[in-house]
Amino acid sequence: MKHARTIATLLVLLVLVALPFGLGHYGYYILATVMIYAIVALSLNVLIGMGGQISIGHAGFWALGAYGSALVVIKLGFPFLAGVLVGGLVAAIFGALVALPALRVQGHYLAIATLGFALFVQQVLFEWEGLTGGRQGLFVPRPSLFGYELQTDFSYYYVLLAVFLLLAWITGNFAGSHTGRSLMALKMSSVAAECCGIARPIHIIIAFTISAFFTGVSGALYGHLLGHLSTETFSLAVSLSFLTMAVIGGLHSRAGALLGGAYLALAPELLREFKDAQMVIYGITLILCVQFLPGGLISLVERVWTIRRPPRAAP
Amino acid sequence: MITQLVASGLALGSIYALLALSLVLIHKATDVVNFAQGEMAMFGTFICFALLTRAGLPLPAVLLLAAPLGVALGVVTERATMRPLQSAPPVNALIATIGLWMIFHHAAGWIWGYDPVRFPSLFSPEPVEIMGARIAQNSLGIIAVSLLVVVLLYLFFEFTRMGVAMRAASMNRRAAQLMGVDVTRTSLVAWGLASAIGVVSGLLIAPLTFLDFEMMFSVLLKAFAGAILGGFNSLPGAVIGCLVIGVLENLIAAYVSTAFKDTFAFGIIILVLMFRPQGLFTRRIAKKV
Repeated sequence: MKHARTIATLLVLLVLVALPFGLGHYGYYILATVMIYAIVALSLNVLIGMGGQISIGHAGFWALGAYGSALVVIKLGFPFLAGVLVGGLVAAIFGALVALPALRVQGHYLAIATLGFALFVQQVLFEWEGLTGGRQGLFVPRPSLFGYELQTDFSYYYVLLAVFLLLAWITGNFAGSHTGRSLMALKMSSVAAECCGIARPIHIIIAFTISAFFTGVSGALYGHLLGHLSTETFSLAVSLSFLTMAVIGGLHSRAGALLGGAYLALAPELLREFKDAQMVIYGITLILCVQFLPGGLISLVERVWTIRRPPRAAP
Repeated sequence: MITQLVASGLALGSIYALLALSLVLIHKATDVVNFAQGEMAMFGTFICFALLTRAGLPLPAVLLLAAPLGVALGVVTERATMRPLQSAPPVNALIATIGLWMIFHHAAGWIWGYDPVRFPSLFSPEPVEIMGARIAQNSLGIIAVSLLVVVLLYLFFEFTRMGVAMRAASMNRRAAQLMGVDVTRTSLVAWGLASAIGVVSGLLIAPLTFLDFEMMFSVLLKAFAGAILGGFNSLPGAVIGCLVIGVLENLIAAYVSTAFKDTFAFGIIILVLMFRPQGLFTRRIAKKV
C-alpha cells in the first residue's frame, strides 16, 4: 500500500500519454486546451489553495502572457520556448505589482484590485493599436521546437503535457518549501503565524507572483495554439470560468487541477444544447460545489480511495 | 459649465453611493463582499421592467413594488446560498457570490435578451435653472431619492431595535450573539436591505443609460472604488467616497479624456490601497485575537 500513490500517479501519466491516440484533429485541440486550462487551475491552486487569496482577474495575466510571448516572437524573433518564458515573466512582474498595494489590508481588497486590473489590461491592449493590433488582433505563428514547426495539435499536446508536468512538479516542491509551509500556517491563523515571525506580505506576494507566472505561461501557450489573438478572448467571463474550474476540480490537488481543466474544456461541448444558459449552469455548479463538495471533484476520488483501503490501526 | 458637470457628477455619484451602501451593509453584517450586488440590482430592475411592460402595471405601482421585490430577492438569495456557508472559510462565501454573479448576469440575458432596452424616464426632461446653471431634473431627482434612502437608513440604524442589533453584530459578532442578538437574522436583514437599495439604484440608472444586462458592471466597479475610498466599513464614508468618484469621473471625461472613463476607478483603488489603505474616513482597526 505504500506505493499506491506512486502507482496511481504512473497510471494517470500513462492515460495522459495514451489519450490522443484514435482522436481526430478536433480531439487534439480539445486535449490541448485541457492542458492549458489545467496550468491555470494549477496557478489558482497556488493562490487560493495555498495562499487563501482570491483573484477574479486571472484573464488579465493570461492576456499579458499571450501578448507578451506573441510580441517577442513576432517582433524580436525569439524562439517559441523563450517567448513562453517571457510571457510568464511579464505576467509575473505585473502580478507582483498588483499584489503589492492590496496586501497592506486584509480581506477582499486583492480580489477587487485584480478585477479592476483585468479590465484595465484588456482596455490598454485594445487601445494600444500600434503594438497589439487593437481590434484586428495579432496573428501568432505555430509553435516550433529546435527548428521544427509543430504542425499538428497532436504533437503540441505533448509539449503542453510536458509543461504541465514540469509546473505541477514545481507546485509540489513549492508546497513543501519554506514559503509554502508559511502560507499554510498563515491560512490557518494569520495572527498566530505572524506571531511566530512569518512575514505575511512577502509570502503572499511570492504566491501571487508564481500564480501570475503560471497563468502567463498558459496564456502564451494558448496564443500559439489559437494562432490569433484578440482582446475579446480575455474577458471577465474568462476570469470567472477560471475560478469556477479551479474550485470544481479541487483547490488542494494537482490532479484536481487536471480535472478542473478537463471540466472547462469539455463542459462547453457537453452543454452545447443549453447555449445561453451555459454560464448560468457554471454559476450553479460553482455554488453547489462550494456548498456540498468544497474539496472539488478530486475529493470524490479521494473519498472512494479511502473507503477501499483497509482502515489503518490507530496510532 | 462646471456647475452642471458637478451636479450631474453628484447624481452619478449618488447612484454609485446606493450600490456602495449595499456592499458595505453586507460587508459589515457578514464580512462578505458581495460581488453579485450589481447583478442582483440589474436583475431586480429587469423584473420591474417586465412588470411594467409584460404585466402592464403602471409606473408608480412598479416603483412602489421595487423595494419589497428587492428585499425578497435578497432574502431568497441569502437563504439559498449564503446560509449553508456560514461556518465555512470566508473564501468560500466569496466564491459563492461570484457564482451568483454569473447566475444573475447570464440569466438576465437569457430571459430578457441581450439587446439593451429603453427604460421610461422617471423625471421630466425639462432642466431647472439653479444659480444660473441649467440642471437636469433627472440629476436632482436622483440626488433626492438617494438622500431619502440615506435618511431612512440612518433612522433605521439609530431608532429601531433591529438596526441597533445590526450595529452591535457588526461591531462584535460573538458578543452580540451572547447578548441575545440573532446573528443569522441580522445577516438576512442585511441582504434584504442591501438588495432593495440595489434595485433602487438600478431603477435610477436604467433610464440614464439603457436597461442592459451589462449595465451594472461599471457601476459596481465605481461603487467598489468609492467604498474603498471611504473605508469599506463606514456607511457615510462610502457615500462621500462615491460622490467624489462621480464628480471626478465627470470632470475627467470633460477635461482629460473619455477613453479611460470606466477604468480610472481602478487607478483610484490602487492609489487608495497604496497610500491610505484604511480609507479616508475610518480609523485603522486593530483586530483582537
